[in-house]
Amino acid sequence: MIVRILPLFLALCLPAAAGVIPQPKNKPDPASKILSVVRVNATSQVYDFVRPWAKKPPVTKRGLGTLLEGGRLLVTAELVANHTFIELEKAATAEKSSAEVERVDYECNLAILKPADPAFLEGMKPFALDSGARVGDRATILQLEPNGEIAQTLGTVTSISVGGYPLDNMGLLLFRLSAPMQQRDGSFTLPAVRDGKLLGLLMRYDARSQTADIISTPVIAHFLKEAAKPSYGGFARAGLAFASTRDPQLRRYIGLNEAGGVYVTEVMKGGAAEKAGLKKADVILAVDGHAVDQDGNYEDPGWGRIAFSHLSNTIFHPGDTVPFRVFREGNILEIPVKLEARDRSKIISESYVVDRAPRYVILGGVVFMELSRPYLQEWGGEWMKNAPQRLVFLDAFQNELPKDRGKIVFISQILPTPDTLGYDELDNLVVARVNGKEIRCLDDVVTAAKSPVDGFQKIELDEDPGLIFLDAAAIEANRDVLMRKYSLPALQRL
Amino acid sequence: MFRLLIFAVIAAGIAEGAPVAKSLVRIEATFQEPTYKAPWNPGEVSGGVGAGFVISGNRIMTNAHVVSNAKFLTVSKEGDPRPYPAKVLYVAHDCDLAVLTVEEPGFFKGTDALEFGGIPEIESTVSVYGYPIGGSRLSVTQGIVSRIDFQTYSHSGMDSHLTIQIDAAINPGNSGGPVLQGGKVVGVAFQGYSGDVAQNVGYMIPTPVAKRFLKDIGDGHYDRYVDLALSYKALFNPAARRALGLKDNDRGVLVGSVYEGGSSEGIVKPGDVLMAIDGLPISSDATIPMDKDSVQLAEVVERKFKGDTVTLDVLRDSKPLQLQIPLNGPWPFTLHGNAYDEDPRFILFAGLLFQPVDQNWMTEYQPDDLRLRYMFDFFIEDKIYREHPEIIVLSGILADPVNAYAADFRNGILDEINGRKILKLADAAEEFAKPAEYYVIKMAGSGRPIVLERKAVEDARQRILSRYGVTKEQNL
Repeated sequence: MIVRILPLFLALCLPAAAGVIPQPKNKPDPASKILSVVRVNATSQVYDFVRPWAKKPPVTKRGLGTLLEGGRLLVTAELVANHTFIELEKAATAEKSSAEVERVDYECNLAILKPADPAFLEGMKPFALDSGARVGDRATILQLEPNGEIAQTLGTVTSISVGGYPLDNMGLLLFRLSAPMQQRDGSFTLPAVRDGKLLGLLMRYDARSQTADIISTPVIAHFLKEAAKPSYGGFARAGLAFASTRDPQLRRYIGLNEAGGVYVTEVMKGGAAEKAGLKKADVILAVDGHAVDQDGNYEDPGWGRIAFSHLSNTIFHPGDTVPFRVFREGNILEIPVKLEARDRSKIISESYVVDRAPRYVILGGVVFMELSRPYLQEWGGEWMKNAPQRLVFLDAFQNELPKDRGKIVFISQILPTPDTLGYDELDNLVVARVNGKEIRCLDDVVTAAKSPVDGFQKIELDEDPGLIFLDAAAIEANRDVLMRKYSLPALQRL
Repeated sequence: MFRLLIFAVIAAGIAEGAPVAKSLVRIEATFQEPTYKAPWNPGEVSGGVGAGFVISGNRIMTNAHVVSNAKFLTVSKEGDPRPYPAKVLYVAHDCDLAVLTVEEPGFFKGTDALEFGGIPEIESTVSVYGYPIGGSRLSVTQGIVSRIDFQTYSHSGMDSHLTIQIDAAINPGNSGGPVLQGGKVVGVAFQGYSGDVAQNVGYMIPTPVAKRFLKDIGDGHYDRYVDLALSYKALFNPAARRALGLKDNDRGVLVGSVYEGGSSEGIVKPGDVLMAIDGLPISSDATIPMDKDSVQLAEVVERKFKGDTVTLDVLRDSKPLQLQIPLNGPWPFTLHGNAYDEDPRFILFAGLLFQPVDQNWMTEYQPDDLRLRYMFDFFIEDKIYREHPEIIVLSGILADPVNAYAADFRNGILDEINGRKILKLADAAEEFAKPAEYYVIKMAGSGRPIVLERKAVEDARQRILSRYGVTKEQNL
C-alpha cells in the first residue's frame, strides 16, 4: 500500500521531436543507438500493515533509468520503493547488472541507482538538464520496444505548476504533458526530453485524459545537488499555509494597499517560518526579492508564473536564509527565514512508511501499532470513509494535536486466545496508558509492560471500553503458543 | 408518496376480525416536509396512510411516524365512509407512538376501546391489523412471536427499546395498527425490513413501551424516556474480572463512560463495575432476570419516569458501594436523532446560509468534509459540545458579488464573528444584527477570515432576497 502504482500506458510516437535521439537505422548499429537509458526491473515487497509481521506478495515493475552527468542513473523513488532486488538491463544487448539504491528521496520521488558492475554504464551518453520551458512547448517521452528500439511519443506541455507529489503530497514543481501514449513493456518510469536535454522524469500517466505528470528538472537538480553532499539535506519547507488576497473586502479590512501578497493562515509549530517570527495574518509580499502576487505566484525566469514555494523548497536548500517581505498591521517588514527540512522523527502520523517495516508490539494477542497513513490506506481507495474514523481524523488533523503528543499508539486488533477472551470485538482503539505509564510510542509499551500492576497488564484506552486487563504471568507463559498458532515470527518489531 | 414504514399483509379472514373492526381506524395524513437546502421554503406536500386503534378515553393510538410532520390528519372507521379530522394530543418520537383524538362528537360512538395485554410468549400466534398496500380495506395478517429483544427504533434512529419480532409478511401501511392476542393488544406494528434485506421479519412495539407512554402523558405532558447516560461493556475476560476484584460468578459489567449532563454524572465513575440494578443481579453480558426472561439491564430504567430513582450496586476499587441515581432527564444529546415537526433553523446573511448541524441536516446534505464529519460523529465522545454546543455550518452560498470570494468556505464550521465565539445560532444572529464596519467571520481550523463590509451587505440584501425568492432570512 505504500507505493501507489499508477497505471502507465506507454506510447508509440510517430514523428520524432527534434533532438539528439538517433533514429533506428536499417542496419543494426549498437554503437549509434541511444545510450542514455537502461531498463530497470525492480522487484519489491510491501509490508502488510494489517498483519505488520508479514509482507505482501512480491511485485516486479519495469521502468527506464536515465543516465545523467557524473554517471548517475536516475529513476523515480516509487519504482524502487520497498525493493528486494533491482536489475539493470541494456536495451540493445540485454546485458544485465544488479544495482543498489545510492540515494532516494520519497518526497521528490527520485532515486539514484548504482550498478554492481562499475563498468556497466561506461560508454553511455548522459543527458544534460533542461533549464526552462513554457506551456505549449513540445517534449518527447522515451520508451523501449521489447526488441530494444527506442519509441518516442511527442507531447505538449500543458501546465507548469507546483503540485502534489505522490507519496508525501509535498508541493513541488510539476510539468503536465498531454501525450497519447500506449502501454509498452510495463514501464512506468520514463524520461521526457526536449532538444536533447532532460525535461523531467515521468511519474504517472492518466490514460483517460492522456496526461503525464513529470518530475521537473529543477526538482531533479535540487535532488542531485543534495545527493552529492556528504549529508543529504532534502527539500526545505517554510512551514506555513496561506490564502489568496483576491477578495477586495479582505484587502480593505487589513489595510493592504500593496499589490499582490498572500495572507498567512497557518504557521506550523516548530517550523522555519515560526522560528523566523512569521505570524498568522501576515501578508507575504515578496520572497528573495521576487514579488508574490495575490495567488502566491512569482515570475520565474525559467518556468514562468509559479508558486513562491518553489523558491523556498527547490531553488534554495535547507540551511539557506531567504528574505521574506511581509506586511503586518500596516508596516512592511523584512524577515529572514532560515529554511530547514522537516524532521521526520517528529511527525505524529507519517504519510508514508517505505523501505522499513511497520513497528508493532504484541502483548498476549493484543497488537499495538503506531498510527501511519499506510495503515489507513489498507482500507482501499475510499479509505477516508471506510477506515476507522477516529484514526482517520487523528491523521488528518495531526497538526492540531499538542506538539509533545508523541506517536498515536493504538490497538489495531486483538488475536483471540484464552488470554484475550471477551476482547475479540475490540479493534482500532487509541491507547492512553499501560500500567499507569503514559504511552507516546511503542517503546513505551514495551517498557511499561515490564512493570505489571498486581500481576496484570493494565491497558487504559482513550475511548470505550476504557480498560483492558491481561494476566501478566499467563501471557508470558503462553508466548510460544501464541507465536505458533498465529505463525508470528516475533512478538515485536521496533 | 408513501412514507410509512414497511409492514405486513398476508391473507385475511381471521376469527378476531369482526370485533376488532369496531376499534380500528384508518389514518390519512398530509405531510409537509421542509427542505434544509432552501429552509425558507415551506416544503413539499405529500400524503400517507397508516392505522390506529381506539383506546380508553376517546383516544386513538398510532405510531409517531404516521403523524410526524403532518399538516392535516383524518381518520375513518370501518363501515363509516366519512373521514373525520383528527388532532395529535401527544407524540413520543423516542418510542414512535402518538395519541390522537377526534373532536367531532359522535365519532367514538359505537367504537370499542381495546385493552392492553402483556408480553406474548415466544412461538405464540398474533394477528396484525392495518391498511397496508394492496387494497384500501382492513387487512389482517397472522404470525408468531419470533424474538423479544432491544432494537433501535428507526423513527428517531437513536433510541432503543424492547421490541417484539414477528414473522408476518410485510408491506407498507400497517404502521400504527394493533397486534392482538386473545382480544387484547400485545403490540403496535411499526417497522420491518424490506424484502431484499430479510424476509418475514417485522417488529411491534410491546405493551410495556405503550403503557409507559400512556402513563407518562397522564400528567398532561410527555417527558420522554429517562436514561442513565452511561456506557458499559460486558465483562467476560477472566483476567479483567480478577483485576477488578470480581468473583467468578459471572456477574458485573464495566462502566466505560459517564456522560455529562446525564443522570449518572458525578455519581457513577468510569471503571465502576455494575453488579445489580434495583436489586436485580446483572450478568456479565449486561442482562438481568425480569418477567421470567433475561433482558438488558436498561429495561429497569426503561420502565421508570422522570423523578424516579434507580439503585445501583457497584464495585469501585474492589469495594462494594450502593448508589442512588435520581433519574432527572433523558439522554442528554439529541444531535444524532431524526427531528420532526420542526422548521429548519438558519440564518441567511449576505447570501451565506448558516445552519446548525443535526441528523436531519446530515441526511439531506451527506457532506464529505472531514472536519464536519468529525465534529458530528465525535460530538459526544470528544466533548465537542463544550466549544460548539451547536455545530453551525456554512451550508450554502447564494452567489452574489458580496460573497464572490467565499466559495472555499462552504461546509466550514462557524467559530467567531467579530471576535466573539459563536456557541449557538442565536449568537450569530446577534452579532450580525449589530452595526459594524466589517463583519469578520472566522471558521474553525486554519484559513483566512471571511470579511464582509457593512455597506456591501446592505446593498446586496434586497438583491439576494428577490433574486433567489427568499421569503425569510432567519429562523432561530
